Amino acid sequence: MNYDIIVVGGRVSGSISSLFASKNGADVLMIEKHQEIGTPVQCAGGVSDSFFKHMEMDPLSHNICTRVEGAKINTPDGNSISAKNKGLYGYILERKLFDKDLAIKSADAGTDIMLKTTLKDLIIENGTVKGVVVRHNGELIEIRSKIVIAADGVESQTAKKAGLDTHFKIEDLCSCAQYEMVGLDVDTNLMEFHFGSNISPGGYIWIFPKGGNRANVGIGVRNSPGNAHYYLQKFISQLNATPVEFNVGAVPVGGPVKKTYTDGLLVVGDAAGQVDPLTGGGIHISAKCGKIAGEISAEAIKKEDTSSKFLKKYENSWKKNVGSGLEKSLKYRKIFDKLTDEDLNNLLKAIQDQNLDSVSTFSLLKMVKGYPQLLKLLRSIL
Amino acid sequence: MKFLENRCGYCGACVSVCPLNILEHDEWKIILKEGCKQCGNCIEVCPLGAIEEI
Repeated sequence: MNYDIIVVGGRVSGSISSLFASKNGADVLMIEKHQEIGTPVQCAGGVSDSFFKHMEMDPLSHNICTRVEGAKINTPDGNSISAKNKGLYGYILERKLFDKDLAIKSADAGTDIMLKTTLKDLIIENGTVKGVVVRHNGELIEIRSKIVIAADGVESQTAKKAGLDTHFKIEDLCSCAQYEMVGLDVDTNLMEFHFGSNISPGGYIWIFPKGGNRANVGIGVRNSPGNAHYYLQKFISQLNATPVEFNVGAVPVGGPVKKTYTDGLLVVGDAAGQVDPLTGGGIHISAKCGKIAGEISAEAIKKEDTSSKFLKKYENSWKKNVGSGLEKSLKYRKIFDKLTDEDLNNLLKAIQDQNLDSVSTFSLLKMVKGYPQLLKLLRSIL
Repeated sequence: MKFLENRCGYCGACVSVCPLNILEHDEWKIILKEGCKQCGNCIEVCPLGAIEEI
């Protein structure tokens, strides 16, 4: 078997990379280790309006759970504030359906897909990646290609096998667990966040509505004495709701890896650390970077140049698009890491009586003038 | 390290922080190859407490 491009991983970044590579005329194979694309779910499913516009696609009603227009923030002392703001407009997706739809779009554009296919090794000749060795149905198979795109998530082995350092430090890895629950009393248009060192050390708890009385209730923790599941169990024990699905995962929140390309290979998505370090959100960033990866790879095939020198275009392009945003977000995450529960309580008190629906930077400055470091944080969130 | 298979959620968090690259994530299996130095990174990040020191 021979392909122009092999994409390792069939989630958002993999499907979008393969979609745009196929759309641009490349012969693409996407491999996925699981037997079904979209499962197991490893995401809370929130995306902003701009995602669909940027991806040149319309939202499909069957994979959208609900429309969200704002957020409710709960601080450690039990206070809360709700705000609806255009910057927060978006959707909560049914990820397992959404991911499969993206793969279907990619297949419709010409991508071949192999399921239950695990990468075992890379074929490397004269320092250039020339394909993959995979296990499929118990057999080891060599598949050659001109480019490999590593879109195999936070646990990516593909890029490491090509000599790229895609390790994440433990302090930069958010350990997550999530239940989908039924029987909750939630505002179906608000995402809810709970902060506090006792309930979610190093992270936060989220409640993302999925329509009616359903919601994803999840947690991300870092450097915590207990594991994510322990804190989540503690939190849901106060809710009178029934779990219907359970998922676990990890999110890299330390910013992008140092290098995302080498001869014949690109890294994209969680594997490349292309995740917002402050929120842990990654769908829109992965999608943007995946689109760039697909387009640049297809261009490299047309120009018959898969060298590191040419593929650097990918890194230049994604950095230009999302790099400064990720840098800022990492800076704010580091500020956030230093905030105590008392800081968070005071921040909420400072802005509690304000109208946040049309918040401006100037009005925020007045609100939190006693907390200049909090202003930076707020600006990035709202 | 000892992996408690009945607790594992196969999320791959442990694989991502192994400094020696001796963990492998198969479809429904985490494989620990030889050479573990018991650094404990995988224990730290496992969301389910499915890894124990021997």
